Amino acid sequence: MTVRFAAAACAALFATSLVGADKSLPAGIQEWRPPVTAWGVPDLRGVWDFRTITPLERPVRFGETGALTEEQASEFRDEELSRRNKDRRASDGISAEQDVRNAYNQFWWDFGSELTEDRRTSLIVEPPDGRIPALTPDARARYKAIRDARARAPQGPEDRGVAERCLLGFNAGPPYTPSAYNNNVHIFQTPGYAVLLIEMVNDARIVPLDDRPRLPDHMRQWRGDARGRWEGDTLVVESRNFTGKTTHRGSGKDMILTERFTRVGPERLVYEYMIDDPESFAKPWKAQIPMKRTDQPMYEYACHEGNYSMFTMLEGARAGERAGKVHTGSNLP
Amino acid sequence: MRHCLNAALSAVRTYSSVIALGLTLTAGAAWAQDYRAPLTPDGNPNLNGIWQALGTAHWNVEGHSAESGPVVEMGALGAIPGGLAIVEGGKIPYRDEALAKRDANRQDWLALDPAVKCYMPGVPRATYMPFPFQIVQTPEHILIAYEFASASRVIYMNRPDFEHPGDAWMGHSRGRWEGQTLVVEVTNHVPDTWFDSAGNFHTDALRVVERYTPTGPNHLLYEAEIEDENVYTRPWKIKLPLYRRMDENMQLLEFKCVEFVEEMMYGHLRKKDSE
Repeated sequence: MTVRFAAAACAALFATSLVGADKSLPAGIQEWRPPVTAWGVPDLRGVWDFRTITPLERPVRFGETGALTEEQASEFRDEELSRRNKDRRASDGISAEQDVRNAYNQFWWDFGSELTEDRRTSLIVEPPDGRIPALTPDARARYKAIRDARARAPQGPEDRGVAERCLLGFNAGPPYTPSAYNNNVHIFQTPGYAVLLIEMVNDARIVPLDDRPRLPDHMRQWRGDARGRWEGDTLVVESRNFTGKTTHRGSGKDMILTERFTRVGPERLVYEYMIDDPESFAKPWKAQIPMKRTDQPMYEYACHEGNYSMFTMLEGARAGERAGKVHTGSNLP
Repeated sequence: MRHCLNAALSAVRTYSSVIALGLTLTAGAAWAQDYRAPLTPDGNPNLNGIWQALGTAHWNVEGHSAESGPVVEMGALGAIPGGLAIVEGGKIPYRDEALAKRDANRQDWLALDPAVKCYMPGVPRATYMPFPFQIVQTPEHILIAYEFASASRVIYMNRPDFEHPGDAWMGHSRGRWEGQTLVVEVTNHVPDTWFDSAGNFHTDALRVVERYTPTGPNHLLYEAEIEDENVYTRPWKIKLPLYRRMDENMQLLEFKCVEFVEEMMYGHLRKKDSE
């Protein structure tokens, strides 16, 4: 009971103090101290759920409004839920094409049904317009190449995204971003390490917390090379050495990704990431995503092992060519 | 002395005695049974670290002579080295029809071996793939992260009643401590994994009981008892040492092999006039 009361009070505090467009952690929260492990560091262990329907980027109509009133939020929530509803059919007023594109029923989706508790209009908290900064010409060209490849009938597996190739999960980044389903990360800690195991696709990022040197510049990895440290009660994970074969909203191989994990209550953790990549973005940007503790376990997500759709997409594309069909690019989400 | 030897030799006539002999002689001689591992801050034997098997069990868990490899261009580097059995008693006790299937698997292993396609190797094969893995220990959960295929599994500690709703490539792992030994019961296996590249297989009735015992600061003894009444006439065991990777700044690197098998799996479906 006491714990529940504390959690509720904490959540309420968190909600009210973030509304004031302040991007740092609210003052009230800093008085709450997380439990510590047997070796004396903040205990972040457990499974954390990062579902939310708050969009990454702020809808343009909200301008500089970072957070909504309760009434506005309720309206925005209804809109988002309706927009995401995959059970809408052509008879509900959407186009026949959109109906087909909805494909999976709503049953399969697990975006959650709530905005962030602080009723933000975007997960992006910096820059103040809540939108991803302008892409550099170089990044635009890279992004266009990816879009073009995805819009055509796939010539080979590389034309599809890394998630469809089962190389990385669609919400696995890094950084982690809420998406269609399985928005869970299991955090493990032992002396000297933090490990971030994301459900999609069973991917364990092992973060050494000592001062060992980074991998040399020429060694590149899909998830980059992570090194961590504590800043007060916050676990800070800095990753570099990306391949350039993945992109987070336009990022490139030399992105410096800084993720911050701060437990702000018994059941609450704030995950914040900053992307610093001058070759891709006009300026660095930052997003903040709330995570809730869950008692639900994560299960294996075997993706490549059952990736029949890669065969059928490629077979379909070749069959279409043999039949002289022109691909219209309608496989874009 | 001679009397002892004769007695031992005559005992070899029955299976059960072979197992008893194997346990007393090899375990007693090769492994320090009285080693006490350092403890984690939570007070359990500390198995944290990066480990790897040596040897050629990933080619064949039974004893095998060296032979040429499947890729002519790889020459000596692609040849399969010989190795002693990690199977206690040397042979897996297959039922007759299962042995025939194993032999058929072996005949066509390059096309059939699921690990060739970068599928998760399952348990116990993940343990002795020629890749490191990292044990990350917490009181409630022990994570094993394998470099091969970025596979991983969570061992749920002291939750014997925690049932798994389906089957999984890496199985469902429930663990407990027995003295210095981490004992893991692995159930809910898909039938699609193999034990090696020599066609040794199981069905979804597979049950594996693993035992990880520290025998020194840098060694673990890995044992697994394997049971599948569809395929074997009795439970059987494997045993091998695991070595701590001592390399300076050792870390698991990515081996996301999907990228390396796409041409093999999907190459025939590429657009012909594309790159």
